[in-house]
Amino acid sequence: MHILVAAKQVLDPDGINSYALWGRLEVSEDGRGFNTGATVPHIINAYDEQAMEAALQIAEAQVGTRVTAVTVGSDTAPDVLKRCYAMGAENTIHVHDDEKQSGNPFRISQILATVAKNLGDVDLILCGRQGSDYDQGAVPAILSEDLGMPFITMASQVSFDEQTQSLHVNVVTPNGPETLACNLPAVVAVSNEIGQPRYPSSRRMIQSRRNPPTVFQADELLSGPAIEKMSIKLLTVPEVQGDCEIIEGVDPKEKAIHLLQILRERGALNA
Amino acid sequence: MPDPILVLAHIDETSQINIGAREALGFAQNLSENTGRPVECGLIGADNSSAIAEVTALGATKVYTIEDPLLDRFSGDNMVSAAAHIVSASGAHIVLIGRHPSTLEFIPRLSRRIDGTCVMNVTGIQTVNEQHTEIEAAVYGGAARALYQVDSTSPVVVGLRPAAAEAPTPYPENSSDIVELNLELSADRVRVITEATADEGPRLENAEIVVSGGRGLQNAENFGLVRELATLIKGMPGASRAIVDEYWAPPTEQIGLTGTTVAPALYIAAGISGASQHMAGCSNARLIIAINSDPDAPIFKYADIGIIDDCLAVLPELIELLR
Repeated sequence: MHILVAAKQVLDPDGINSYALWGRLEVSEDGRGFNTGATVPHIINAYDEQAMEAALQIAEAQVGTRVTAVTVGSDTAPDVLKRCYAMGAENTIHVHDDEKQSGNPFRISQILATVAKNLGDVDLILCGRQGSDYDQGAVPAILSEDLGMPFITMASQVSFDEQTQSLHVNVVTPNGPETLACNLPAVVAVSNEIGQPRYPSSRRMIQSRRNPPTVFQADELLSGPAIEKMSIKLLTVPEVQGDCEIIEGVDPKEKAIHLLQILRERGALNA
Repeated sequence: MPDPILVLAHIDETSQINIGAREALGFAQNLSENTGRPVECGLIGADNSSAIAEVTALGATKVYTIEDPLLDRFSGDNMVSAAAHIVSASGAHIVLIGRHPSTLEFIPRLSRRIDGTCVMNVTGIQTVNEQHTEIEAAVYGGAARALYQVDSTSPVVVGLRPAAAEAPTPYPENSSDIVELNLELSADRVRVITEATADEGPRLENAEIVVSGGRGLQNAENFGLVRELATLIKGMPGASRAIVDEYWAPPTEQIGLTGTTVAPALYIAAGISGASQHMAGCSNARLIIAINSDPDAPIFKYADIGIIDDCLAVLPELIELLR
């Protein structure tokens, strides 16, 4: 089986969140990023790392499985491929594209679909459920449409069932876990419920330097006209109102009594 | 006649539209007042009969309906085909879909199928003109907003952030044109092996009172305090992603951007710091109570009422007083 994992680079969401929590998150002058400088690193999107983990789990169970990792982005993007390689991807592909295009999931999907078609033998495409930067989660589902493949998202476990020769996918729903199945080729988006990804091996981390990704230019890869129907114009940071009434009291008991008093006065406990 | 604003809703076994669809109808009504476009609604499900009256009362002037036993789930190939059929019949260029766990699959697939665009987690639509539509969405776990500019000549499918608008007041005397559409459907390429047993009980997303806990609980056992307080005040328990990742609470109880979004009358957050990831799922509660020992915790920026103290000391007192 040949598995293609799509991974993207994002600004560390915990870092962005810390800035936001302390009210210090500011948008950069061009309106496209934040003034966090080097204090917030670029990292692999955590959901994509989990997709990589899911791919490796299948590879361990399925003899002869190959994992290829692909990323779309500018000069720093290949860092995520080093990580994928160190985790166990055999080959890596970097499609070089202007960072300004990253807000257009249709273009990204078109690029990934072209990569998958050119590889020719891809059985399964795994992605993270969404990027932790724009949180849109649109690329995996659009990609399944572009390639005409079945699609499953919110995967917490992915395995290949020998007996039925089909993909079995456990998914997370508000009603609890479900098991779905489909034939290959397919696109599956992985959620964090799949668990902690393995740590990259340091030996392969060193080897990754000698095994650079295959590089393509997005505009050369896209034969027809690219879908340029949407873009991000501007980022802003919403104001959070701080208007909290603090309940006084000498000890937890007194505070609890005061809270219940206030809630009763406001009729908030009458559900 | 300008082209309509189309709200799409799936009708599940409850035969009613969900909270997300009601919010979408409210959002559509506000947008209709600004743009002069009429509000229409598309219903997809196994049995839409009672939902037709419901969406008419909530302001839909025309209701497209596609009914088929194969449309019982809000996911998969048939949902996308049915929705694409309705969008094309309506001629709408703005398609609104309210919160539902299946939108992560449905919205992007539909947008590609109809050769349009999509934006998720939308908080507002700023500008609509002939060239482009400007749409604001929550990004970076709710820490920031992105203004998307999309081409107006093809349809845009908008996934609304929970509580992006309030549900409109129902007017039972409203009337609407009903358009029944038919579509050849076939078995889905994705097969259901074991289905989640839909809990008959109350649902977290509809809860009027929610008590939720975070890392401040210190261990799995103490999540019992959250459950107990929730039970005593007829609410439901919720959890931050941090403690769901630690298996102190099940994923079905996770509140936040990646989890359930709630908009209850009362939200009590115990031992939760207030990361924007979490607040994205609860900041629309009418009354937020924060219990946290750290006076600098960001949760106090969002909360209406705060107790600065260890939640492990306050929760037992509240439980004791309410017993």
